[in-house]
Amino acid sequence: MALFKPASTAWLLAHELRLAWRGAMSGRKGSAVGSLIALAVAGVALLALGLLLGLGLRGREIPIQPLTIVIVALALAVILTLMLSTTLAGAADALYVRGDLDLLFSSPLSPRKVLFVRALGLGVSALFWFLIPAVLLLTPSIVLGHPAWAGVFVVLIAAALTATGVGLLLAMVLFALIGPRRTRTVAQIMAALIGAAFFLGSQYRTLMGDKASESLFARIALDAREGRLQPPPLADLPLRAALGQPLPLLALVAVGVAIFLLAAWTLGRRFADATAATQGAETRKAAVGPGRAFAAGAFRATLRKELRLMGRDAALLSQVLLRVLYMLPLALVLARNAADQPAWMLAGGAAGVAFLAGQVAGSLIWITVSAEDTPDLLALSPTPVSVLNRAKLTAALIPVALLLVVPVAILAWFQPLAGFWTALGSGLTAWAAGMIGVWRQKPGKRADFRRRRGSSFLAALGEVVVTMLLSAATALAVAGWLTWAALPLIVAVALLMALRRTEEQIAAALRAAAVG
Amino acid sequence: MTEALIVRSLSKAFAKPAVSDLDLTVHAGELYALLGPNGAGKTTTLRMVAGLTQPDRGEVSIFGVDARKEPAAAKALLAWAPDEAMIYDKLTPLEYLEFVAGLWNIEPTTAKARAEDLLSTLGLTAEARRRCEGFSRGMKQKVALAGALIHDPKLLILDEPLTGLDAAAARLVKDMLRARVEAGATVILTTHILEVAERMADRIGIIAGGRLLAEGTLDELRGKAGEAVGNASSGGTLEDIFLQLTAEAT
Repeated sequence: MALFKPASTAWLLAHELRLAWRGAMSGRKGSAVGSLIALAVAGVALLALGLLLGLGLRGREIPIQPLTIVIVALALAVILTLMLSTTLAGAADALYVRGDLDLLFSSPLSPRKVLFVRALGLGVSALFWFLIPAVLLLTPSIVLGHPAWAGVFVVLIAAALTATGVGLLLAMVLFALIGPRRTRTVAQIMAALIGAAFFLGSQYRTLMGDKASESLFARIALDAREGRLQPPPLADLPLRAALGQPLPLLALVAVGVAIFLLAAWTLGRRFADATAATQGAETRKAAVGPGRAFAAGAFRATLRKELRLMGRDAALLSQVLLRVLYMLPLALVLARNAADQPAWMLAGGAAGVAFLAGQVAGSLIWITVSAEDTPDLLALSPTPVSVLNRAKLTAALIPVALLLVVPVAILAWFQPLAGFWTALGSGLTAWAAGMIGVWRQKPGKRADFRRRRGSSFLAALGEVVVTMLLSAATALAVAGWLTWAALPLIVAVALLMALRRTEEQIAAALRAAAVG
Repeated sequence: MTEALIVRSLSKAFAKPAVSDLDLTVHAGELYALLGPNGAGKTTTLRMVAGLTQPDRGEVSIFGVDARKEPAAAKALLAWAPDEAMIYDKLTPLEYLEFVAGLWNIEPTTAKARAEDLLSTLGLTAEARRRCEGFSRGMKQKVALAGALIHDPKLLILDEPLTGLDAAAARLVKDMLRARVEAGATVILTTHILEVAERMADRIGIIAGGRLLAEGTLDELRGKAGEAVGNASSGGTLEDIFLQLTAEAT
């Protein structure tokens, strides 16, 4: 910060990036030094891989032909959508979480500069995770005879600028259509959908009912080999730009800069107004009428409260939605196989359903137990902790049960026994993940939901291993190998027993965490 | 006289002692103000009384119930409202009160009627079905206060209850607390606004360095402060007494 003149654009950008870095690092177990060491190790590995790549490609040129054109264009599209997913959520946060914008707008800095830098910060954040690996992977090739490949870095910068501009524009459109508060919710969900779009795209043949083994990318490769692939006009621009051809490079950069400037400058004032409008904005119209009766007892009241809070948590909804999207192709494969295949063909799908059920339950139990907003209120009440935990576990398992209804019902329709084992295995997996969340709870904040696994390595590892073991047991049971299914089941139970904590132990761990 | 709260030899140390061998008695049906400079141990004391912080040693009795041995029975009798409102931004006041009433196992029909009554008294009826996330600090404080009162506690413990409230809301809360005391409840509050303690409290305790320096009615405290400077008829405001006693302690 001291490197730059106070209140300059660079100074403000350094401030934004410092906040973004600390945000990314917060909630991780151990210090930032540990994270840096992990990143450094990954960096060295990438560099080594880059060196091998550079040596392998020494003296070779990338041909400009339909297959390479389509591969690079698709790769850029994937990168763009992932970047857009980041920038859209970030732009909505910039609109919604406005504590520091209040401070910045009340300063003598021009709002346009503030917004320009914030937009730039969004772009840099989106760029970071793509540019750094690209630099490490490609620098050896660039040094070893392909200097023009540095064009890849410029293409990535152009993509980040484009994604930032589109993200900001989308956030503005959402704001105009549905208001400030809902913008955040919808933007989070849209970001998740955009992020998952290419996964679903790659699975389109699965979804459409063709051979499950044939992905979109395999199909493209086949078409290219057989000469059927005809890239659309201008599809070669990304490849040519990545190979360092000046005009395509200039064109992509011009598009990125134009979209970014359009969003950051032209909408600058409007964005500031939008931000200001979020202050004191009503979340929604107050409900009218007598309202429903109060819940009776601590269990029901806690269950109802947790379900309400889950339903109103934008970040959580988007994460759950993502998992639903990932479950969709799986469910369709299961449905197709269930109709005309023997039970053992369903084993993989059943394991997938059980694993996802465990993952969703693990996420939700973290929200209900560890991310409790007012732990003191619960500690103050005469309600036993066991009742509260039971209500929270139930609240976490209800959405999982709803998620499971469709795949299990389809299975049960065609193959009742396979449906039974899948339901049992998925239920057990979800319950086990939930119990681990209860036993190994560690206070956190809802806002840290995406980083929850960093807060307790043991719990995260235990959850993944137990979930995998129980998923394997489910698969074996569905395949009809019940004796073999007992093996992972026993190991999972042993692990669960090792992870188990009594209420007193949980309370002691929480006290220790509070003091620490 | 029935005692609402008896604290004996209560001690707690974190990095250094926060509360040391504290003895405190609060009579049933009185409004007791616990005063002290920042870091005196007020909040730690009240958190231990509420069962939120485990004491290193000592006894806490609430209406004759040993709070350390029978925490659930003790908690059923009391309410605690800290200076930072313990509410959920994504719930409406009515939903919040429904949840709190559930925790104290209040019969739903009674709870709903009480909730509507409390929200009406606190001027929150129009906001009853709006989520708390857009509320001002004062409004959130009022929602938290309604939560503290929903189970009609016999002992109400409030940490800086007037923080963030405007003059009208502060008056409303003071009137409500007085009405509760007149109805037989016991109120313990901490405040840095000494005039509030001077006007409202039946008895005042002054704490510093985790120890109770003096306790009594305002007149009794005046007497103690006078004795300390060799003048038994010393007058002065609570502020004078407070500054004198805490200065001597530090």
